[in-house]
Amino acid sequence: MGRYLFVSLPLTGHVNPLAAVSRELVARGHDVLWAGSESYLRPLLGPETAIAPIPLRAHRGQADRGMAAAKSRWDGYIVPHAKSTLPGIERAVAAFRPDVLLVDQHAVAGALAAHRAGLPWASMATTTMELTRPYRALPRVEAWIQQRMAAMWTAGGLAGEPPHDLRFSPHLLVGFTGEALTGPLEWPENAVLVGPALAPRAPDTDFPWHWLDPARRHVLVTVGTLSLDLAREFHARVVEALRPLGDSVQAIVVAPDGTVPDPPTHILVRPRVPVLELMPRLDAVVSHGGLNTVCEALAHGVPLVVAPIKGDQPINAAQVVAVGAGRRVRFASVRPEPLRADLLAVLDDPSYRAAARRVGESFAAAGGAPAAADHLETLLTGLTERMGGAQT
Amino acid sequence: MSTEGLVRRVAELLREVVGEDRAWLDAVRPDTLVDGELLLESHELAAWSLALRRHYGERVDLVEYVAGLDIDRIIALTVGEVATHVAAGAGT
Repeated sequence: MGRYLFVSLPLTGHVNPLAAVSRELVARGHDVLWAGSESYLRPLLGPETAIAPIPLRAHRGQADRGMAAAKSRWDGYIVPHAKSTLPGIERAVAAFRPDVLLVDQHAVAGALAAHRAGLPWASMATTTMELTRPYRALPRVEAWIQQRMAAMWTAGGLAGEPPHDLRFSPHLLVGFTGEALTGPLEWPENAVLVGPALAPRAPDTDFPWHWLDPARRHVLVTVGTLSLDLAREFHARVVEALRPLGDSVQAIVVAPDGTVPDPPTHILVRPRVPVLELMPRLDAVVSHGGLNTVCEALAHGVPLVVAPIKGDQPINAAQVVAVGAGRRVRFASVRPEPLRADLLAVLDDPSYRAAARRVGESFAAAGGAPAAADHLETLLTGLTERMGGAQT
Repeated sequence: MSTEGLVRRVAELLREVVGEDRAWLDAVRPDTLVDGELLLESHELAAWSLALRRHYGERVDLVEYVAGLDIDRIIALTVGEVATHVAAGAGT
């Protein structure tokens, strides 16, 4: 049996797919440990998963959009997070003696800890951000990111330059998407795309299922965790887009209490919703285009209207449009009338749903969490064999 | 042509690319940030670059210009700077 150490980030979209893989490995009898904030991870991982606690530190806020968001993602988040978590990860490595580390592409401390301990590790691509190399046309931005990683390498007490891009393990790269969505790209040779890794989440017993009227069509509106001002403004426009559709559409808007004033009766506003349980009953999703939401919708054959904000979201939006599984709108400025037109097109034209289904079927064939676990077991077997079975 | 007039014309080409309206165009000034205020994405930048080239000639290449900028200069890029690049390329 193998010993697997998970290193992720305190961000739901990053943790959820790895939580599904972790559950699969545990079910197969492997030893699994997570290094990270227990207060953050526990609700997502459930009571059984072992966690080596690393206190959560507040980092500088990230800019909301554009290249400013790219800059603050590194200087305000990835770099300081690596610095503050490396000691805790190293303690977990020393105590748990893992065979393999599973490292989110943006949790660079996990890569540093693996190098320091001389252990094999696998990169986990939980977003599309690094997979598609969006800055390949901006060499000075790429160079700036490489400088950040070199500085982290040095600050982690490692000599010389990083031997490779620290977002890409030389051993294995698992991506939680599929070529049916991404189209053909130049993947690293050790990359495997397993599709979305979905696992049942804690049930939401409060959700008013009786509110859903089977005679109407259902739309989920979810734009992730945004700054409140941005969300408030967008939701106001979404409500206006939906207002005249009450005869034929019900919508569930994910938003903090009180941020959507006086919604009409066919719009339900909830701070949290059981997304995976809702999916089979949905006709469309309006989303910011986070990879989790996009893949969860497509896995259920549900088409999307995507209003991307930052990071990998514009990339995911472009992919959804390219495969015909939805439309994209400009988050910053889309007005209610065109938004309504796009939403009705996605609801009324069966080609969107058909395209979403095709992607969903290929995701199912890609295997999800069990396929990821297979690759992680193969990685371990390969390493053990190369060492002549001398592992103790 | 005045700089103001050129800013207006390059912004009008961008307006067509992103499908915005007149009010949006009226709000664009020389110091408007391309990244932080107009929230331009890479595919929109590419389409804007093509439109500028069609109007102002082969020597105008906004994509190549941006590719030569470092991250802080990209964040600080204004519509006025784009107009200056266009003016230099168009030889006006």
